[in-house]
Amino acid sequence: MHALIQAIILGILTGGVYALMASGQTLIFGIMKVVNLAQGALVVLGAYLTYTLFTQLGIDPFLSVLITTPLLFLVGVAVQWALLRPLHSDDVGQLSLLVTFAVALGVEGVLSFAYGTTLTNIQPSYANTSWTILGYQVSLVRFVAFVLSLVMLGLLYLILQRTKFGRSVRATVQNPMSAQLLGVNAQRVSAIGFGLGTATAAAAGSVFGMLNSFNPGSHYDLISRLLTIVVLGGLGSIGGSVIAALVMGVASSVVSALASPIWSDFSFFIVLLLVLLLRPRGLFGARTRGAL
Amino acid sequence: MQLQNPAPRLRRRVLAAIAATALAALALAGCTTGSGTGPSSTSPLTIGISLSLTGDFSDSGKAAQRGYQLWADVTNKAGGVLGRKVQLTIVDDASSPDQVVTNYTNLITQKKVDIVFGPFSSLLTVPASRVVNRYGYSFIEPAGGGPSVFAQKLGNLFFVQPAPTTEGGNVFADYILSLPKNERPATAGYAKLDDPFAAPIAENIQKRFEAAGIKTVYDQTYPAETADMTPIMSGMAAANPDVVVGGSQEADAFAQMKAMIQLKFNPKWLFESNGANSPADFPAAVGAANTEGVFSSADWYADSTVAGSAKFISDYTAKFGGTAQTIDPTSAEAYSAGMLLEQVAKKTGKVDNATIIKTLHSGTWPTLVGNLSWDQYGAPKGAYLLVQWINGKLTTVYPAATAAASPVAPKPNWAG
Repeated sequence: MHALIQAIILGILTGGVYALMASGQTLIFGIMKVVNLAQGALVVLGAYLTYTLFTQLGIDPFLSVLITTPLLFLVGVAVQWALLRPLHSDDVGQLSLLVTFAVALGVEGVLSFAYGTTLTNIQPSYANTSWTILGYQVSLVRFVAFVLSLVMLGLLYLILQRTKFGRSVRATVQNPMSAQLLGVNAQRVSAIGFGLGTATAAAAGSVFGMLNSFNPGSHYDLISRLLTIVVLGGLGSIGGSVIAALVMGVASSVVSALASPIWSDFSFFIVLLLVLLLRPRGLFGARTRGAL
Repeated sequence: MQLQNPAPRLRRRVLAAIAATALAALALAGCTTGSGTGPSSTSPLTIGISLSLTGDFSDSGKAAQRGYQLWADVTNKAGGVLGRKVQLTIVDDASSPDQVVTNYTNLITQKKVDIVFGPFSSLLTVPASRVVNRYGYSFIEPAGGGPSVFAQKLGNLFFVQPAPTTEGGNVFADYILSLPKNERPATAGYAKLDDPFAAPIAENIQKRFEAAGIKTVYDQTYPAETADMTPIMSGMAAANPDVVVGGSQEADAFAQMKAMIQLKFNPKWLFESNGANSPADFPAAVGAANTEGVFSSADWYADSTVAGSAKFISDYTAKFGGTAQTIDPTSAEAYSAGMLLEQVAKKTGKVDNATIIKTLHSGTWPTLVGNLSWDQYGAPKGAYLLVQWINGKLTTVYPAATAAASPVAPKPNWAG
């Protein structure tokens, strides 16, 4: 019982971090119908930026989010403007796969060149600190990361629900043609939306770098996880991806601790398969896609 | 008589064919093994090497490159090998098993190098060694020690490390089983990475522990993509074994230990087959204060007491900068490949491939990674050193003959 509860605690905390990465991914799909294969690479880029700020300037990895988030927002806007905008709208779904994969490979290449391929990790003084609560261990980094994810998701929610830009985004998601007819600048919404999606990778990256050793090739594992989370949650649904990330976190952690780590990812895919058989659009795909 | 006619014609043809084949073979032999390897030659001694200078293994590939280059420089300064200057031809294989085949074929048939040395990793050594074997070259290789390398049963291959990679943990089992029975651990837990270079190391230890009555209370194998080791280690902590054996590579070894620290689980003995033997990366990954008492195995490291190590370190830091602690063992292994060649030349007065193969198959050969000798298929017959972090430094603690200090047990608590 103790092991089960410990595993659930771990799973929820880990799931929170994946929720943050996946929310950016699903936002981009919701707005542009682009499956962003570069999201994992951008998380790794975020981790390296945090690493540099921490080791060179001594900036705390959590505080550095204030610097890396705008930076990755700009990277996202630039990628959208330079590489995705010129694609013909009929082919955007397929071509964007190639383009974003190329971005992922490009980011990986630049990082390999700049940092080498050896595994790195961000090690602030509190990296291994954990609290004992009722006999269970709660890691400080995981807990703060979880809270940070909630804060970022909350900000994202506020932007989408309470701002004029958010309204434009939601309108574009529901019906791009009508939104354009009503004066929504689709290009601008796409660029900023893509930027917001990639900006979530900054906070996710700093946390990812503290929890795991990483190198420029780490994005392959990440992107496969993110894609399954996003599909389980329902493409385009932020709430869905948060729940899916928590499901994945808890399922992997519990199976890993109580059965075998070999089955841990597999168990998640079984959940994914079952959900897709019953609800082909994912947990929240059909119902809330318009509402975001 | 007519019946007999075709026979002489046939015989002539057969003879001609044999002669042509023999000529071609001679010519080929001249192209490969016979090109200027005579002891009297004063032409440079050309050595061809394919290394992963880009791609997944590029950091290790570059470390091997530094080791080879340093050996060549030091040797040339001292007058070369048998008076011949060493000339390295290093080409990039981008960490690709296909490119490595092309590279060695080119080095041997086009560049006509005298000698070849090995690439980085077993993945590339296997295809490379087949090519090299086909052309009758010797293959001194510092970085391909997996079972797949020796399973090929090639007689020209020599792995420049103390033992096959999967036997890396045997020295830890030797140490534990050397303890008096009442001081030995009673229970053991194993966390193994599903990888041909990781899990078998722990399995070999486990076999010996179980045979000696050390009970297995936790045994888990995890796939390579497992990023988060905390759930596994929480299972381990619940089983609470006296000794934890990690059959690991680098990243997962760090993750295992970070998880143990966070779960406040401190076993009496902790052995990690890899990762913990990295003098620079390990303290950076888990925090310097948390390294205390962790065991691993190694062939060469900065505080190694092997003869020639101090000179290697001073030459290395003079050429490439940095500190002794930041030297990758791969550099020392590559350097040792050169040392072997030099010793063969000194002993026999020759540096042709046939002599190298024949000579290395007998005797023991001192290198930076210990005294080496091999079985007929190039698997080294020695053992790694057991190292432990004591006062923030990797220290050899077993076998006693080479130990700089006694092993510390039980392991001090994590610093957190």
